[in-house]
Amino acid sequence: MPYLGGEEAVKELRRALSNPHVQADHLRYRNTILKVIRVMSQGVDVAGLFSEMVKACATVDVVQKKLVYVFLCSYASLNPELSLLVINTLRKDCQDPNPMVRSLALRNMTNLRLPSLVEYVEQPLMAGLRDRAACVRRVAVLGWAKLHNLQPHTDIDAAVVNELYSMLRDGDPVVMVNCLRALEEMLKEEGGVAVNKAIAYHLLNRLKECDVWGQCEVLRVLQRYRPQTEEELFDILSLLDPSLLSPHVPVMAATLGLFLSLCSPGLPAVSMAALERTQGPLLAACGSASQEMKFTALCHIQLLLRSLPGLMGAHYKRFFCGYAEPAYIKQRKMQVLVELVNDDNVGLVLDELKGYCTDVSPNTAQAAISAIGRIGRSYSDRCLEILTGLLGLKQEHITSVVVQTMQDLVWVCPQCSDSVCEALGGCEDTLQDSQGRQALLWLLGVHGERVSGAPYVLEAFVEQVRSELSAGVKTELLSATMRVFLCRPAETQDTLGRLLHYCIEEETDMCVRDQALLYYRLLHCGIEETRAVLQGRRSDPSLGVLIGRPAEPVSQWASSFNTLEPLRQGDAGTHSAAQGAPNHVTLDPKPSIDLCDPLNSSQDGGETLNRALPPAAAADSVSLLLPAPYAGLLAPCSGGSQLSLSLSPALSPEEFECLWLGGLQDPHAERGAREQKEEEDCVCVQESVRVSFVPHRSSPRGLQAALKLVNIQTMAFTPPHTLPWRVYLYTHTRWKSPIPSPPCEDTQTLVLGELLYTGGESGRVEDKDEKREGGEQRKGGSEEGRVKVTVKQQPRDDEAMRGFLLVLNATLHTVSSS
Amino acid sequence: MSVSAVFVLDLKGKVLICRNYKGDVDMAEIDHFLPLLMQQEEDGLLSPVLLHGTVHFLWIKHSNLYLVATTNKNSNASLVYAFLYKLVEVFTEYFKELEEESIQDNFVVVYELLDELMDFGFPQTTDGKILQEYITQEGTKLEVAKSKVPTTVTNAVSWRSEGIKYKKNEVFIDVIESINVLVNANGSVMSSDIVGSIKLKTMLSGMPELRLGLNDRVLFALTGRDKGKTVTMEDVKFHQCVRLSRFESDRTISFIPPDGESELMSYRINTHVKPLIWIESVIEKFSHSRVEIMVKAKGQFKKQSVANNVEVKIPVPSDADSPKFKTSTGHAKYVPEKNLVVWTIKSFPGGKEFLMRAHFGLPSVENDELEGRPPITVNFEIPYFTVSGIQVRYMKIIEKSGYQALPWVRYITQSGDYQLRTNT
Repeated sequence: MPYLGGEEAVKELRRALSNPHVQADHLRYRNTILKVIRVMSQGVDVAGLFSEMVKACATVDVVQKKLVYVFLCSYASLNPELSLLVINTLRKDCQDPNPMVRSLALRNMTNLRLPSLVEYVEQPLMAGLRDRAACVRRVAVLGWAKLHNLQPHTDIDAAVVNELYSMLRDGDPVVMVNCLRALEEMLKEEGGVAVNKAIAYHLLNRLKECDVWGQCEVLRVLQRYRPQTEEELFDILSLLDPSLLSPHVPVMAATLGLFLSLCSPGLPAVSMAALERTQGPLLAACGSASQEMKFTALCHIQLLLRSLPGLMGAHYKRFFCGYAEPAYIKQRKMQVLVELVNDDNVGLVLDELKGYCTDVSPNTAQAAISAIGRIGRSYSDRCLEILTGLLGLKQEHITSVVVQTMQDLVWVCPQCSDSVCEALGGCEDTLQDSQGRQALLWLLGVHGERVSGAPYVLEAFVEQVRSELSAGVKTELLSATMRVFLCRPAETQDTLGRLLHYCIEEETDMCVRDQALLYYRLLHCGIEETRAVLQGRRSDPSLGVLIGRPAEPVSQWASSFNTLEPLRQGDAGTHSAAQGAPNHVTLDPKPSIDLCDPLNSSQDGGETLNRALPPAAAADSVSLLLPAPYAGLLAPCSGGSQLSLSLSPALSPEEFECLWLGGLQDPHAERGAREQKEEEDCVCVQESVRVSFVPHRSSPRGLQAALKLVNIQTMAFTPPHTLPWRVYLYTHTRWKSPIPSPPCEDTQTLVLGELLYTGGESGRVEDKDEKREGGEQRKGGSEEGRVKVTVKQQPRDDEAMRGFLLVLNATLHTVSSS
Repeated sequence: MSVSAVFVLDLKGKVLICRNYKGDVDMAEIDHFLPLLMQQEEDGLLSPVLLHGTVHFLWIKHSNLYLVATTNKNSNASLVYAFLYKLVEVFTEYFKELEEESIQDNFVVVYELLDELMDFGFPQTTDGKILQEYITQEGTKLEVAKSKVPTTVTNAVSWRSEGIKYKKNEVFIDVIESINVLVNANGSVMSSDIVGSIKLKTMLSGMPELRLGLNDRVLFALTGRDKGKTVTMEDVKFHQCVRLSRFESDRTISFIPPDGESELMSYRINTHVKPLIWIESVIEKFSHSRVEIMVKAKGQFKKQSVANNVEVKIPVPSDADSPKFKTSTGHAKYVPEKNLVVWTIKSFPGGKEFLMRAHFGLPSVENDELEGRPPITVNFEIPYFTVSGIQVRYMKIIEKSGYQALPWVRYITQSGDYQLRTNT
């Protein structure tokens, strides 16, 4: 913020700095420099004083030196030529008898960040490595890393690397740790410091001398060491054992990280034992005074719970929220509480959560209500009682979340539907937001025959449809009214008529209008047809398993332990949410990255996805943050990389045909050598997906839009009502690392696919030879069809292929879920 | 670890001071920090990690400052937070109060400190005691700074420098236990634990060797040898000066203390203690007319002990008016800006029971804003008493010169996070 007098002040300062009287009096001189720095910190551009300041650094006063260096380092990049003048003074300072001055000079020499100065810096740096004073060596060692950072593509001087390796034996522990840090930085491309047996033992022996930061660094580097024998491994583990209980949270976490990386591949029992042992310190970290540390600890506990579901069960009370805790802590604590529920503590946990439901912060209240909903999957009676009680409060935001939670609950626990239907009466008056109303409409539609007032509630909605702003509510209203009409025609006919009339004649939103038209035509086809389309599944109990789900192996998340990743927003929340249902991409509708929402019954697939996708993800290339079980399945090695699909580069129909036909032929038939090699990289997979709708009769536009949303391009499809019904599609897959790290595997593959639906009979035949697909599908109704999916990929990447198939499956399920 | 840059911002998001350590993140990125923070706060999704593009901001707030570290790597989050808190600790040691004004008044020292604390994104010298030896406040204001290297930078005893002299050699030992309790509205204790610490104020010359003797009961608990009757201590932490190997072998706590104030050890006891001050409350709210509050406080500790400066803070609705109080002892005061009644009892002997009644009027037009239900909180201090029964048996001070030194011991039990939930 350059205030008005900025330029004037700079002039004034220049005059003062070049005044010989000021220069003679070192106190006045220093005070003037102090003013310069003060003005600089206030945001005034004082770059013009550079040459005056360069002169000022030739002084014996250490404080003045420091001040001038602060200035020089900030503006050096703007004045590379003038900076050359400083180098001389700096080099002279490197010879100073005072080690403080030497280290100061070295540090600032390397902080100038000017590639043109590198040649002048190397010699003093080399001398610095052999300096008597440890504080100079510390600076010199890191100085080499800084130089390398400045010119990352130049060759590294092998002599320097050797010197640094040998300096791991330096007497000063900070120098040793700095050597590790510098080597890590310089040898990044070769994978960091090479840890052989000698180095590993040396580091282990000196671990105790280091400060907290150093210990964490050493422990992290040691993760790369692989002991040759099991005996050696156990020696190391028992040496490190005390650090597991270190009072310093970072050290404890780093040790645990090392244990996990040493043991998780071969000795899961040992890593489990280590996890059990660190319970105490972790719990202590959850109670630490700093909210940020608490948050970090909670995120990591969530990570641990993925592999050890029962961990800390006895200490569930530690996760009760304090009144003044920030919302992010409360939400994480509730997520943990949900995981820790068991028969003994469920009563107390629910009582506690019930208390949070009326929290002043709507977000906390919502989180508490959804937590109760998730516990309701295992303990439905108690939870429903609480939820019903909350409806009685008639609070707008609470009612909305409760209805949404009930919607979810009914979907996974069909046995709850009776009590939910009873509770619904009267809450339509309290509901204001669109999500809450959508949930209510869905419930009314699906269970219309059991809610006595359903047609009349819908009638009230239809009367106000003109003033309704949300397209989502309107489409939901359409579906609900249609469904209620099917089971209670006499009461609903008039309402439905008015609604359809309004939507077709007056509605401006194309999606709503299209849907209304679709229903209208559907009704023309006859009541049985309509019933077949509209009355699909009402629930999916398989999603509801909360207790007794399989634990993930530790190795799936070990690499991201003790980093930033577990803290990333929504991440851990989704993981824990995802655990409820290991077999589906479609899970709890709350987390932001669900691809598709099983509860959305709308016919228009595109619209469904649009609503389920977060705005950020609906952007250009949809990142498929797959939920935990898949992320693990897809990327066992890359530590949480995500698969993303993209449409570019686009394929023309001719190219597609050429590639497709080329691939379907026998790979070894009449092909040139080069092409043959390429062919071997290809892979062709056939799979069948059960869908509960009749694909060839539904609108192809909806399917196309839905696929487009997940970045799958449809190339061509057969017109509706023809058999066999086919769709051709393509996409590109790419791995994306969630955190910008070394540009990892930029492997892109092209995926071409064909969906084929031949009618009910052929599907049943295929059922028999489809064995490995057992986990993927569920028993469905008899009118379900099967779509045969043939996919070709080039070059071959099984992980990406699996990811793609999951996405495709999920999309088809969504489109078919009405 | 790898922090790219560290910023100190004021509440408006203006950069007060910054230090670019690695140069791999654009310094202008910080301009996105506060807008992002405000937006998340509005959405109620605030978290200590903010993401803008590829840059992560890890931040903490201290009084009227934000301390922000930026990184574009998958850094170790707990270490970064630990470093930011270390910054606060070191700055506070220097300026007593860390706030906007003290940063602006001392920006030279702040620049110097930032330079020493971290280099190239890696923490270097972070011990406040050592830093204080070569970055002195006086040095920057008046005289030419000391230009000799402090001995501790290379010393074996990094936490104490040689040549310290006092006229009168004394050690003050404070044993402080603070009690955290959470009691549910129906009177059941949800959680309770004790956080204890032994604090030293050392005013001793030379390089003294100290030995601290604790009572056996506590020692057994510390070493975990006796699982039976005694309380179990968790998270026992010693200051780095304590020779842990010695402690493990013969259970003596021996050390060369840092000069001045330091925390020798801390521990946590996670056990169901009876809440020392028990509160029963009846808060009746008659909508549109009045609130009636009846609070009974009972001292559940030994008759010989006395709790001092007891403050019971009872929440009242924000629209309450015309307070009336009746107390059996102490006095009650209405603090409208915090929506609290504070009932103060200067001295509260063990085993006694006191009563307070309060009456408030409520306006006939109801406040339709949803209000939280804050808990009743209690502050108190009980001298000469510890819940765990920890006792200092002796403190031996041995120094080459053979001077006589006096150890002083004090015990205090105080309230920590002491909350009792209410029904309304």
